[in-house]
Amino acid sequence: MSDMQNNLKSAFSLKFSIRDMGTLIGLVIIFAVFAFLSPVFLTVPNLINIMQQSAINAIVALGMTLVIISAGIDLSVGPVAALAAVICASLMVAGVPVPLAVLGALLCGALYGLFNGVLIAYAGLQPFIVTLGGLSLCRALALIYTGGNPIFGIPASFRSFINGSLFGLPTPIIIAAVVAITLWIVLTKTPLGEYIFAVGGNEEAARVCGVPVAKTKIAVYIISAVLASIAALILVGRLGAADPILGNLWEMNAIAAAAIGGASLMGGKGSIFGTILGAIILGTLINGFTLLNIQSFYQLFATGVIIIVAMLVDRATRGK
Amino acid sequence: MKSFFKKTALVAALGATLSFSAMAADLQPLNSDTEPDRIAWSELQTKFGDVPTPKEGLRIGGVSKTLTNEYWRTLGEGYKQYADKYGVFVSYLAAANEDDQLGQLSIAETMLTEGYDAILASPQSDANLQAAFDTAKSKGTPFINVNDAVMPLTEYYVGCVQRDNGVRVAKWFMENTQGGKVAVIEGQPGVYAVKQRTEGFTQTISQDDRFEVVASVPANWSREQAYNAATNILQLTPDLLGFYVNNDGMALGVVEAVKAAGLLGKCWVFGTDGISDAYKSILAGELTGTVDSFPLLTGEVAMEVALRIVGGQDIPRVVATPQALITKDNVAKYQTTDSAKLRETLLAE
Repeated sequence: MSDMQNNLKSAFSLKFSIRDMGTLIGLVIIFAVFAFLSPVFLTVPNLINIMQQSAINAIVALGMTLVIISAGIDLSVGPVAALAAVICASLMVAGVPVPLAVLGALLCGALYGLFNGVLIAYAGLQPFIVTLGGLSLCRALALIYTGGNPIFGIPASFRSFINGSLFGLPTPIIIAAVVAITLWIVLTKTPLGEYIFAVGGNEEAARVCGVPVAKTKIAVYIISAVLASIAALILVGRLGAADPILGNLWEMNAIAAAAIGGASLMGGKGSIFGTILGAIILGTLINGFTLLNIQSFYQLFATGVIIIVAMLVDRATRGK
Repeated sequence: MKSFFKKTALVAALGATLSFSAMAADLQPLNSDTEPDRIAWSELQTKFGDVPTPKEGLRIGGVSKTLTNEYWRTLGEGYKQYADKYGVFVSYLAAANEDDQLGQLSIAETMLTEGYDAILASPQSDANLQAAFDTAKSKGTPFINVNDAVMPLTEYYVGCVQRDNGVRVAKWFMENTQGGKVAVIEGQPGVYAVKQRTEGFTQTISQDDRFEVVASVPANWSREQAYNAATNILQLTPDLLGFYVNNDGMALGVVEAVKAAGLLGKCWVFGTDGISDAYKSILAGELTGTVDSFPLLTGEVAMEVALRIVGGQDIPRVVATPQALITKDNVAKYQTTDSAKLRETLLAE
């Protein structure tokens, strides 16, 4: 079994680096175009802006990447984020210490991820349908809980933490970096990472080799939901309010970032570095188009083109 | 001692409303319909004189709610039309769709980084542009909330009195009919404008014993949902006197439902906003009326306010923009794309 895993791993890591290089080249081209057209684009504040704006999507997309590698999908990330946001906000407004409120929100996210995972792994339901149900369910819970109104009055201490910076980098970027490094270690250096690739690559073969398939699946949905909750908390800190309609279409942006970064919805393929680049590409588009005073309809168009081009490059380089 | 009293009063006032964060301690959460520090659009010229001549190369950033709705596109045209007179550059951008709250925030932040001289923003929700507002404040860039969603801590708000939309329609019913059952089709729940428009109508008409509000249901700004809701209401209440609908898109859906039920001419339908399709429908004798809040003129007024603020004038927190109830009787008077003419008509009232 360990032989198989090693083979899998070395094969993947080699291909990934080529694929990641492709994404990186794409990003460099996009940067070059915007830098040529706008003098503001390559300034430090603007680059920090792009990273800050990409951070939330990046965190959600990283969780999504693990789910996608395991041949699953998580459509419930946005509403789960909304639920975590309103729970955290209402705890903080009620006077619960900030760290406890944050833990409460993450726990709530983890529980929902567990719920998703159990339905998928043990009840054998399709991930698309289970999380589609979750999409409605969590949004409804967040709306019912708040009566549709945003929760204001987020404590200043929490806001100044999220809006603060370390070594000149805003907190959201630091959090995204920590999440990315942690997941990279999990994916490449731990048994769980090997299991995730194995389950997504060939579930039956993985089962025969003794991979704990069900537990692996549950783990990825918990990670995805917790990361969505972390992203939600960053947004709450930035906005100064928790909106029950927060997180709309997060699942689509996350899937887009993961796909541009080389994750395959068939499972077994995907990389942390690629997804981060994918999220930055999406963040760069909205930033660059705003600087150039171009309507967002065209940004949507460019996003579509980039996703399809990325898929074509995928096909060509993988020779399948 | 004096400052102690001031502080106590402030703390009490804040506590009475909502426990806002410390950074908000200098401004009360805004209720744009009742804020006392306000001025009507028509008084700007008389009270503050001419618009200060803008400096060369002045740039104003417009952050739109969406460009898939005619109202917001027209508002942007108003910005540009007014800015062109002064040679001011305007950028008017929106996120790809009305639900992309982060996308809208990104646009506002990018504009601030790029160094626009003022921002005119129509937020998607009461909260989603708060971070950009904070950045603008720290940079000293004027940030003006234009219409619809109201950021509680905004320093400037330009827009119509949302409650008045509903009040005007209620008064029409009270003056022009003998009374009966009425229904409301609401927009997205939780939105300030929805609450104010609906309450304005319901509370005003409920003061008159001849009327009964039999239903008030949300249709989330969707023409299709409004059509379905109206169909259900008409099935339950075939003798319904009329509908008040929170926007024109939904009102046109309700008109279709009324037509399908064979009640055209018996059941009155009023919308809100005054989009061009609503005017066409009124002229065709289908939609009874709409409360026009004149997006083109509103855009012009908002740009005027921006130029006055950038020019150093001390403008009140709320600038109220024009509104009028449009029906078949007066539609000809208001149906004009010439904003100068429209200004004259409104000022003459």
